[in-house]
Amino acid sequence: MELRPILSALMRSKVSMILIGVQVALTLAIVCNALFIIGQRLDHMRRPSGVNESDTFLFSSSGFGHGFDPRATIREDLAVLAHMPGVASVSTTNSVPMSGGGWGEGLSLKPQQKTSTTQTTIYMVNEKGLGTFGSKLIAGRDFKPEEVADLEAGDTLRPPVIIVTQAVADKMFPGENAIGKQVYLSENPPASTIIGIVERTQQPWMSSDTVENSTFVPGYMPYGNSSRYLVRTEPGRRDEVIAQVEKKLSESNSSRIIGKIRTMEDVRRDAYAGDRAMSIILGAVIVALLTITALGIVGMASFWVAQRTRQIGTRRALGASKKDILRYFQTENFIITTFGLLVGAVLAYAFSLWMMQSYQSPRLPWYYVPIGFVCLWALGQLAVLGPALRASRVPPAVATRSV
Amino acid sequence: MLKMTHLQKVYRTHLIETHALRDFSIHVREGEFVAVTGPSGSGKTTFLNIAGLLEEFSGGEFLLDGVNVSGLNDNARSKLRNEKIGFIFQSFNLIPDLNLFDNVDVPLRYRGFGAAERKKRIEESLTRVGLASRMKHYPSELSGGQQQRVAIARALAGSPRLLLADEPTGNLDSLMARGVLELLEEINRQGTTIVMVTHDPELAARAQRNVHVIDGQVTDFDEAPRLREVAAGNADRGSGAESGRAVGAMD
Repeated sequence: MELRPILSALMRSKVSMILIGVQVALTLAIVCNALFIIGQRLDHMRRPSGVNESDTFLFSSSGFGHGFDPRATIREDLAVLAHMPGVASVSTTNSVPMSGGGWGEGLSLKPQQKTSTTQTTIYMVNEKGLGTFGSKLIAGRDFKPEEVADLEAGDTLRPPVIIVTQAVADKMFPGENAIGKQVYLSENPPASTIIGIVERTQQPWMSSDTVENSTFVPGYMPYGNSSRYLVRTEPGRRDEVIAQVEKKLSESNSSRIIGKIRTMEDVRRDAYAGDRAMSIILGAVIVALLTITALGIVGMASFWVAQRTRQIGTRRALGASKKDILRYFQTENFIITTFGLLVGAVLAYAFSLWMMQSYQSPRLPWYYVPIGFVCLWALGQLAVLGPALRASRVPPAVATRSV
Repeated sequence: MLKMTHLQKVYRTHLIETHALRDFSIHVREGEFVAVTGPSGSGKTTFLNIAGLLEEFSGGEFLLDGVNVSGLNDNARSKLRNEKIGFIFQSFNLIPDLNLFDNVDVPLRYRGFGAAERKKRIEESLTRVGLASRMKHYPSELSGGQQQRVAIARALAGSPRLLLADEPTGNLDSLMARGVLELLEEINRQGTTIVMVTHDPELAARAQRNVHVIDGQVTDFDEAPRLREVAAGNADRGSGAESGRAVGAMD
């Protein structure tokens, strides 16, 4: 290996080496952190909601006109929807996971507790609620029809029975069986008894620290003349049912407006639009940086080959084979890239530290930088290959040509 | 050492065919110091390139130290060049970013010598040209004559059997040229075969034998005393009209 003489020659043209080295260093630092952020966003986006998203949709209904009876309409609508071909289950609900809006409450172990033990979202559903959400009951039982209460907007929630997610049960009663235990919604008596535990149902707020803390309360709570329905269809029949919903409900009661029907997949797409956009932008930045770095290496190597044609010819005349010349330029690139990567590694960890301190971002895992090293080494070698091959084709007779 | 027989070199484009060497024959024996002279465009450099395995030829036969070089692939030619031939160029062709030590080291690395062996050879050859004390200097810190001495050290470091010199004093003033020439003569006395291409009749006169090339053909050969006579006062013989078509005789 000609490492020492190449390094020594490079040290005499430091500007070019520093320019490419800095470019490689910044690329490594930014690409590692950007990839890590993308990975985090993708993990965030891949979290299961606990809802059967592929077969479920929701919509709202807003009645108008004198004499509109929201409670009667809800009962009629539930009956109409339940009898539609392809519908597996239907429930009213105040909110759904990932929707961005819902009802939050504190959960306490004692009445008048100063600070809630944990926070939870409240899903008000009927006895078909769990089945409609697709939430998996892992302990206890589901609601009975007689437990579903008619609630008024503005009521303080005092449900005698509730069903909580595993996350809530673990938080409230760590290491214990939560079934039959009593908790207080917003520290107010009377207590609610936990009758069931579901595996997972996310909150509507995706950035919440307690995203899986959800509580099901049996009840209807219409907001004025408005109500919201969640419908789960038989597998694969969602779109077919959606196409019929508005018509069927209008036939049942035309004094209302059916809001935009959204599938749970739509809800997920909207919930993570920001994460997706961020990932795409960062991905584009990575591609742009890698392209610019590769082009920089190609440009610099091409310039060096053109500048050193005579020198290459001389080396050939002195006994260098084509392979020796190819290896010379590859080694030179390896040295410059390595120099850049070493600086880049420090920058990558420094950038990660800054992100941790400024944005509470997790630490960049150590293996990102070595993987980045290998990728950028490969990129450098690939980028220099064209100019290096051109150099290897310089005929040795160039050495004797007069300039 | 070097034997070319009826050598042809033709450069072809889609429009033109140029015969750089035609029916070119020469035999340089071991230990000789031969000067190749001729006007510009006569084919001297083409001869040197072919002799140094820098270019291929179109026809004829070329034996280098008994090895028939026809049909050798690029790797084999590079290896043979590295082992048998030392080059001295008109423009020195030192690598500006390497110090003298590393410049002399270039052919030795391609030869595959170990570090200790390389160091020994570099020091010996730089000592031989009187520049051992300046090993860590860069070419730009030396005069033209010193640079050419480094180039000679580089050519000698691998102990070549044949030294090919292309206008070795062409870029030097007369004082420096004399020093370089004396060095070449000393190297030749120590047994290295030298073939030197030059325009300079005075320089050619110092060689043991002179070969004159015109239009890609050897038109004349002579022993040094006669050339010295020409250099002393006579006009350049130009076309070599009085030459004796001496290809066979040369051999």
